[in-house]
Amino acid sequence: MPGESFSEYINSLSYGSRTDLLFKWLKNAGEESAEQFIQELLAELGEVVDTGDLSTLFNMIYEGQLAAYSPPGEETRWQYDDAPFAKLSKPLSEMRVGLLTSSGHHVLGEPHAPPELNDYTQEEATEHIGEYGRAKPFLSAVPTDAPQEKLGVHQPGYDIRAALKDRNTVMPIDRMNELETEGVIGEFAQTAYSFIGLTSQIRLTKEDAPAWAERVRDEGWEAAVLVPV
Amino acid sequence: MSVGHVSRAFESTGIPTVIVMSNVFRGRVTVMKPARTVFTQHIMGRPVGAPWDAERQTHVLREALKMLEQATEPQTSIVLPERYRVAGR
Repeated sequence: MPGESFSEYINSLSYGSRTDLLFKWLKNAGEESAEQFIQELLAELGEVVDTGDLSTLFNMIYEGQLAAYSPPGEETRWQYDDAPFAKLSKPLSEMRVGLLTSSGHHVLGEPHAPPELNDYTQEEATEHIGEYGRAKPFLSAVPTDAPQEKLGVHQPGYDIRAALKDRNTVMPIDRMNELETEGVIGEFAQTAYSFIGLTSQIRLTKEDAPAWAERVRDEGWEAAVLVPV
Repeated sequence: MSVGHVSRAFESTGIPTVIVMSNVFRGRVTVMKPARTVFTQHIMGRPVGAPWDAERQTHVLREALKMLEQATEPQTSIVLPERYRVAGR
């Protein structure tokens, strides 16, 4: 846009006029790093048109995200002194194992978010991002025999394109079913769960996560695979 | 962060957990002292693997289940060496 600064441009990628959830981290990275990234991206694209080798591009995105989201010495709010640890009571091949993700998967047509957020499209959700951070967590039950086409994804915190193409990128239901068939795990719990990770962390910590733990324990979960996005 | 909280609640309730996540967020999660974590060097939004890359997805889950079974102390973690790739490459 005329008169727009580079700083305003990279800020617009993070819940602004050019929201791009795969590259929103450029705002965190800062002007200098973002400028360097774009310069190197163009240079690498120049190589790719000749070689067709995309691996360097993938590594650039990964390294950029790593530097932006996990900078050395970053102070975060949620730090703990204790480290709860439950031991396995028997071999996994004899256990019921569950799956829970923060990918925002849900059965199409069923409620999948707090009522005030439930009707937003993914695009509208990114425009109302602030509301999600204050919202009460909402847990969606996903039957592990449900086909991919019966599931939707609602999550304004990350780029959901891969999740829409193949749920196993973030919610590996098919892979867990295969591992059950193979006997690596005794049983894959019939109901998996997903929630919108972008939610009130205080409510999650104090109310919902402990309640979810009791819920899945009552459903016979003996161990859990957890996948954040 | 969200799943870090869930993990802590599950562990406190007696349910062993393993977190499978992209290494790009390792700084935010490590300080939460999760019980077991498998970090993948995958792009955000694709922690288990690229779309239709069943081979990588299964590999990541096998590593996670192995850790679930073998870890003897809290804060057990590994960064898997494989870099992000697309299916069939």
